[in-house]
Amino acid sequence: MKLRLGLGILAAGGLLAQAQVDTQALMGAQQDNESWLMYGRNYSSWRHSPLDEINTENVNRIVPAWIFQSNQNGKLQTTPLVRDGVMYVTGPSNHAWALDLKTGRELWQYSEPVPEDLAVCCGKPNRGFAMRGERLYKVNVQATLVALDAKTGDVIWEVAAADYRKGYSNTVAPLIVKDMVIIGIAGAEFGTRDFIDAYDAETGERVWRFWTVPGPGEPGNETWGGDSWKRGGASTWITGSYDADLNLIYWGTGNPGPDLDGAPRPGDNLYSDSMLALDADTGERRWHFQFTPHDVHDWDAVADPVLVDMEVEGTFRKALVQANRNGHFYALDRSTGEFLFARAYTEVNWADGIGPDGRPILIPGREPTDEGTLTCPGMGGGHNWHATTYSPQTGFYYFNSGDGCQIYHGATQDFVEGEYYLGSAMENVTGEPREGSILAVDPSTGDRQWRFALVSPPSSGLLSTGGGLLFAGTMEGYFLALDAASGKPLWRLQTGGPVRAPAITYMFDGRQHIATAAGTSIFVFALPR
Amino acid sequence: MRWGVLPLVPALVSVAYGQELESSPFHADPASIGVGKASFRLRCSACHGIHAEGGRGPALNRGEFEAGETDLDIYRVIARGVPGTEMPAFGQRSTEENIWRIVSFLRTFEASADDIVEGDPARGEDIFWNRGGCGGCHRVGQRGGVFGPSLTRIGRSRSVAHLRESLLNPGGDLPPDYYVVRVVTRQGKTVRGIGLGFDDFSAQLMDAAGKFRSFLREEVQAIEREFVSLMPDTYGETLAEDEQRDLIAYMQTLRGEGGQR
Repeated sequence: MKLRLGLGILAAGGLLAQAQVDTQALMGAQQDNESWLMYGRNYSSWRHSPLDEINTENVNRIVPAWIFQSNQNGKLQTTPLVRDGVMYVTGPSNHAWALDLKTGRELWQYSEPVPEDLAVCCGKPNRGFAMRGERLYKVNVQATLVALDAKTGDVIWEVAAADYRKGYSNTVAPLIVKDMVIIGIAGAEFGTRDFIDAYDAETGERVWRFWTVPGPGEPGNETWGGDSWKRGGASTWITGSYDADLNLIYWGTGNPGPDLDGAPRPGDNLYSDSMLALDADTGERRWHFQFTPHDVHDWDAVADPVLVDMEVEGTFRKALVQANRNGHFYALDRSTGEFLFARAYTEVNWADGIGPDGRPILIPGREPTDEGTLTCPGMGGGHNWHATTYSPQTGFYYFNSGDGCQIYHGATQDFVEGEYYLGSAMENVTGEPREGSILAVDPSTGDRQWRFALVSPPSSGLLSTGGGLLFAGTMEGYFLALDAASGKPLWRLQTGGPVRAPAITYMFDGRQHIATAAGTSIFVFALPR
Repeated sequence: MRWGVLPLVPALVSVAYGQELESSPFHADPASIGVGKASFRLRCSACHGIHAEGGRGPALNRGEFEAGETDLDIYRVIARGVPGTEMPAFGQRSTEENIWRIVSFLRTFEASADDIVEGDPARGEDIFWNRGGCGGCHRVGQRGGVFGPSLTRIGRSRSVAHLRESLLNPGGDLPPDYYVVRVVTRQGKTVRGIGLGFDDFSAQLMDAAGKFRSFLREEVQAIEREFVSLMPDTYGETLAEDEQRDLIAYMQTLRGEGGQR
C-alpha cells in the first residue's frame, strides 16, 4: 500500500511555470542560486554556493523562517532539493515530502511500507532525491528505485535493483547523468555482491550495471580467492560525481565482505575500497584506484569524490580528491586514475604512510584478532560518508573526521544468506571516547589549514558559501556557522536533535535561506526582514 | 522468516519450520556456533561485553542465566527483550534460527569456580552501610546516595570477578556513561563532579554535594572530561580480605527483588 496525499502545485503560491530540469540545467547547477538541484549541488560535488547575503558579518543575526516536523522516527540524513518555490525532502523508512518554500507546509507526502523482514546494518535513512524533467527519483530502503511526479508525489514507476531478502538495501541519493538515473547499493555487511546501476529515466529500464566485484573471466576476479567474490560486498552507498568533458562517472566503493576477517578472501579484493571511473554511456570501467587493498577494518571508500582542477607540484591536474575512511586524504588525476599524493589527517597506526604506488605501507600486527587489536582510526574512520565541501573562494577543502581508536575483534564465521557477515566486531577503548574534527585542508597538498574540535565523532555534512561561511552540525544538536577562513565559530543554534545531514542554501523571495535537517525536522533560516 | 544455508542441520531445520523449538538445534554445529558468536559480538557485545563478560548488561559467560535455565528461556529473552530494562527485543531484527545460533554460542560457556564467593552477606551489608561508606554514594532501592551508580540490581549484572575489580580498582572498567567533568572558573576555582552533559559549548555536572551545575565554555577558563572514578581506590587496604569477600557476597544478593526495587 502506498500513501500519497497531494495538494498539488497550485498550493505553492501559484508557481505553475515550472522550468524543466534538463541536462543543461543540471550542468549549470552551480550558477543557479534559486535552486539546489542535486545531492552535491554540482556534478563536481562541491556543495559550495556563491551566495553571500548571509556572511561572516551578519550570520549571527539569522533566525528561523520555518521548521517542518517530519513526525518520523529515524535518522534524517537528506540533502533537500529546491526548485521553483518547492523543497523536496526524503526521510527515513521510505517517507518523502514536498514543502512550500515560503511557509514550510506540506504540498504532498509519499510513503511506502518497509518490509518487516528487511535486514539493514545501519538504520533506514535516505540521503535525498534526484530531479530530471518534472520527475523526482529516490531509492527505497528495500533496494528499489522509484520515480515520482514532482507536482503530485504520484508514483510513475518503481523497479527493484536487487532482492532485499539477500541482504541488499539502499539509502543513496541518485545522480542524473544525461537521460539516466545512476544509483549505488548497500549490503556488504550481509555478504552481498554489489554494483552501480544506470536506469532509463523515462521507463525505469536498466541501461547498464557495473559489478563492483568482478565475476569469473572479468579483470579483477583473480584478486578474490576461491568463490569469495560471490560475497565480496563493495557497496556503493554514497552518490558519485560526473565529469561531462571526460564523460566519466566517479563512484566510490565500500568494504569487502566479511568486513573484519580477510582469511576467506585472499587477495586485493578488487574493486572494494576503490574509486571507479566509469564510462557514462556504457558503464565500462575506464580506471580504478584501490585505496585499501584487502581491507580488514571496514574502511569504505564511498565518500564524496570531489572534482577540483588545481596545480599539484607545479603541474596542472584535473584532480579528484577524497577524504578516505582509512585516515588519509588522497588526490588522484581524474583523467587517468594516477595517484598524486596522500596525507594522513588523523591518528593512523595501521600504515606507515602511503607508498609512491598508492598502496598503504602496512604495519604488521594490526589485523583484527579474536582477543582484539587496537587500531586507529576506529571502525567508523576517519572521515566516513558525511558530505564534504570545496570552496573556490578560500581554495580549501572541508571534511570532518572521527578521531580515536577502537579494538577490532576478528573471528571466522560461515556465510548465511541474509544474516550479518562481518567476521566479528569492534569495541571502544575504556576511558578513551572517540572524538571528532572539522578540518580545512589545501587540496593541492593536503596541508591542514585549521581544525575545529568536536567532543563526539561527527554526524553532519558540510556546506560552504560565498559569504565566507562553513555550516556544520553536531551529534549534540548544534547547527553551526564557522568562519571558512579560520574555523572560528560565528553562530550556533541548539536544534534539540542530532544534526545528521548537510545544509543547503538558496535564494527565495529575495532572501538567502539556509536549510538543514536536524533531529526529525527541517530547519530553514534567513536574515530578518 | 527466512531459512538460509544450513548444510549441517537440514533435517532439524525442516522439522523446526513454523513452530517454536524447545532447544537450539545448533549445539553440535561448530559453524553455526561461529555464526552465533559473530552475531553476539555484533548485536550484544556493546552491553554484555565482547567475551560475554558483562558490562552495562549482565555477564553471560557464567553458565547461568537470570531469565531461566532452558534454551527456550534464553531464546525468549533475546527475542522479546526484558521489559523495564535496557534489554531490547531482537525478534524483529533477527531471524529465529539466528537467535538459536546465539543461544548455542552462549551455551558454550560453563560455570566458573571464579564466580563463587564465600562470604557473609549480612556482614557485607553492615560494611556497605557503615564502615565502608558505600551507601553514601551508591543507592540500593530507596536507600543511599545518588553520586555513584545505583547498585540495586548489581548482583544480576556483574560477575564476582567484575565486582572484585570494581571494589579494588574502581577506574578499571568505568560504566559507559560515567565520567568526571572538571571546570576551572575564571576565578581559578576548580569544580569537579559526575558529568551529566558535555558538548562543544557547555557542560553539566553533579558536584560532591549532589548539586546540579551547568557551565558555558566561554564563561570559564577550562572544561575537561576525565575518565576516572571518583570512588576511593583504597578498599584493598582499608578492608581485610574476608571483609572484601563479605561485601562482594552482599552485592551478589542485590538483584532488584523485594524492597530493593
